[in-house]
Amino acid sequence: MSLIYRVNMTDLSVRAESPPAEYAERGGRALTSALLAAEVPPTCHPLAAENKLVIAPGILTGTGAPCSGRLSVGAKSPLTGGIKESNSGGMGALALSALGIQAVVLEGKPRDDTWYRLVVNADGLRIEPADGLAGLGNYDAVARLREEFGEKIVCLGIGPAGEMACAAASVAVTDIEGRPTRHAGRGGMGAVMGSKRVKAMVVDPTGARRPQPADPDRFKAGAKQFQASLNGHPLTSQTLPTYGTNILANVINEAGAYPTRNFRVGQFEGAEAISGERQHDVILKRGGKIEHACHRGCTIRCSRIYHDQNGQFVTKGPEYETIWAHGADCGIDDLDAIAQMDRMDDDLGLDTIEIGATLAVAMEAGVIPFGDAQAALGLLREVQRRTPLGRLVASGAAVLGKAYGVVRIPTVKGQAMPAYDPRAIKGIGVTYATSTMGADHTAGYAVTANVLGVGGRVDPLCPEGQVDLSRNLQIATAAVDAMGLCLFVAFAVLDDEHALPAICQMVSGVHGREFTGDDFLALGKATLAHERRFNAAAGFTAADDRLPGFFHQEPLPPHDAVFDVPDAELDQVFNFVR
Amino acid sequence: MPRIRVNLYASLRRYGGGSPTVEMDIAPGTTVGQLLDELRIPSGETRILFVNHRAAAPDHTLTGGERVAVFPAIGGG
Ligand code: SF4
Repeated sequence: MSLIYRVNMTDLSVRAESPPAEYAERGGRALTSALLAAEVPPTCHPLAAENKLVIAPGILTGTGAPCSGRLSVGAKSPLTGGIKESNSGGMGALALSALGIQAVVLEGKPRDDTWYRLVVNADGLRIEPADGLAGLGNYDAVARLREEFGEKIVCLGIGPAGEMACAAASVAVTDIEGRPTRHAGRGGMGAVMGSKRVKAMVVDPTGARRPQPADPDRFKAGAKQFQASLNGHPLTSQTLPTYGTNILANVINEAGAYPTRNFRVGQFEGAEAISGERQHDVILKRGGKIEHACHRGCTIRCSRIYHDQNGQFVTKGPEYETIWAHGADCGIDDLDAIAQMDRMDDDLGLDTIEIGATLAVAMEAGVIPFGDAQAALGLLREVQRRTPLGRLVASGAAVLGKAYGVVRIPTVKGQAMPAYDPRAIKGIGVTYATSTMGADHTAGYAVTANVLGVGGRVDPLCPEGQVDLSRNLQIATAAVDAMGLCLFVAFAVLDDEHALPAICQMVSGVHGREFTGDDFLALGKATLAHERRFNAAAGFTAADDRLPGFFHQEPLPPHDAVFDVPDAELDQVFNFVR
Repeated sequence: MPRIRVNLYASLRRYGGGSPTVEMDIAPGTTVGQLLDELRIPSGETRILFVNHRAAAPDHTLTGGERVAVFPAIGGG
């Protein structure tokens, strides 16, 4: 990795620079957060010219390390008002790293309302008017670009939601098949891209030469061990490839932590109908695909391809969080309707978690009834038609809930909670409350020790031990996100003592100097410190590190649990940041 | 004899003869581990056990009427 492209959308100029020393060995979230903390005024309006959108592959991306093709997309978030790193699969990170690009930074914004596209290839990066692309959904936009540039390209782009700069807008990334199914979904990164009037970025890696590690033997030894660790763990070698992420539905439901009808109860009577087991059978029966990789080089392959009853492609996955958000959270038990909503979210360029949660809040408000899949699809069509109601939906659960006077809004820092009720899985509640990202399960996935028996066991219903669990996971996760590794490698890392040394050995091989387990943790801590300080300067206080009141007051069946981790303990999660 | 409902998930469904739920009569004092032996589920294949929605160990004693859930290694998110 050697180049950072600075794309100035105010004067439409491009500058390629060698990374300054402080960014030289950073990648992924460690780079996006360090750069934002150094260069973006924390109090700026997220859609103003001062904000920057940073797109960065990980430290290990493009080296051939297993499962290392994840992309970090960062900016000040229009959804949370804080710093954001949104992580995506797909081919984007690999294509950029193949071109030797450490990051693309979108800066400024045009004075007129022309839409632009960026074209990146072995010759450099150029800005062009995006004639004919504006107004298109992601699927049509990608089809046009592939027609013009060929099938080898990778596209990053925004749909109508990003064009409207709505706070739940995603950045879509194309997958191995060239479909816009993978998204940097969380936190409205698509709105920031839209504010800079960039409709799409076309990356053509043709003619690029993959970056070589400084010490290839060392790198190879690490990669071999790492692959062995992934192969040796039943989760990464069997359950995830066979059933995909949605295998969680039944276990979270059994644990009484599957948020149902806008977080009213912890079990959904329709869980089996939308479970990973059922999804697996439906996919195989219709000629879809299991064991699918979202990017080349992923050996876990948790992705799937979902077909309709006529055997025609509908969408990828859908993933656990998406199925829950549009399913149990809305009281909907129809897998085909959920797949259709996933397809619409991808096409409109929307975060599936935020949108499912928003539909549930709309149901809570009485805009549409719980359980009505057709009405839910109707609300997505409002987004498509760009109506005022559609804009509310695309702005997320907090905004829509506020507009309708709803009290039960499951958000932290303005971002909707994912598919685990924090009253019945208290470790994930600590992560939701304190993460620099707003309510985000991936920031510190305490479901591991709380429910899954991975990385030890901590009783999910007891407040004790959750803060330490969440802190340690948040630190390790920030480092994993810097590597460009898929977070699912963490299942192996938590259970197999050889996996982390293997990662460190790969990084040592890439840099050509020793990178230890302590360096790994230090990188995670430094990244979180940048993020915490940015958020504090943006105006966040301890009061923002709290769950909404109803989680403390309304007992959740079947355990009748409330969230009772003391505030004073929540304030200790970041005790390492001064 | 007390009756027990056992829910099998993911790859463990093959031990229920294709059905996700098995109803069984047990002798009082039977442990979850003994129940799994009776279903011929190798202990190495189970990672998560619930009795009435709470995590349980194989030595958990059943009295009848409980809902037992058995999972292999599960993850995602
Ligand atoms: S494990 Fe799944 S989400 Fe992770 S990189 Fe592979 S296919 Fe993508």
